[in-house]
Amino acid sequence: MHDNRRQILDMLAQGKINSDEAERLIAALERSDMPVARDTSAVKYLRVLVDANDEQEGPTKVNVRVPMQLLRAGVRLTGVIPDRAREQVNEALRKEGIPFDINKLTPDNLEEMIEQLRDLSVDVDNERAKVRVFCE
Amino acid sequence: MTQEILPPLSASVHVKPAGWRFGLRLWLPLFLLWLLLIPLLILALPLLFVGSLIFRFNLWRSLRAANGVLAATRGSQVEVDKRDTSVFIKLH
Repeated sequence: MHDNRRQILDMLAQGKINSDEAERLIAALERSDMPVARDTSAVKYLRVLVDANDEQEGPTKVNVRVPMQLLRAGVRLTGVIPDRAREQVNEALRKEGIPFDINKLTPDNLEEMIEQLRDLSVDVDNERAKVRVFCE
Repeated sequence: MTQEILPPLSASVHVKPAGWRFGLRLWLPLFLLWLLLIPLLILALPLLFVGSLIFRFNLWRSLRAANGVLAATRGSQVEVDKRDTSVFIKLH
């Protein structure tokens, strides 16, 4: 922020911009620095909604709500997996082309991931079914 | 972040099978199931302890993690609606 302001003043001093332009740039800089209101409430549930329409079985609606706490508890459960089994899991994942290290799955990392899931929304829409996955 | 420590104590189950005019609304007291399982768990503890020594896992941490998973299922909800059949399950 401070560097940007100095840069604008330097440009003004060098005559590359006039005082009006400098004022507008500084105003824009201040606006961009204002704190943006964020939704700080925790993500509680993962929702899966399916609206299918099968020719033989007719319309089917599925509504599943999974608590995020279950995801957290699952990660804690990985903490009790013996080291040898962890290596086997990593090896199996590598064989399947998933370069993921299960040792890096910690509760701290998970909180970060869950925070990112807040904006997640998956919509699959085809002629036979609509699937929507989101967090709330 | 608060962590639930109690497993689901009850479940609401609503079922409406095909051909039924009215559905079935059940309230299942799951806490009775846990009360029945606790003595079994206590009986199985020596075996689990021996297993933890053989397979080298932390028994206390494993039990806590397993309870955590069970407790985390509280609030889960599954609802399926078909043409003439519907099922609703919610864990409290």
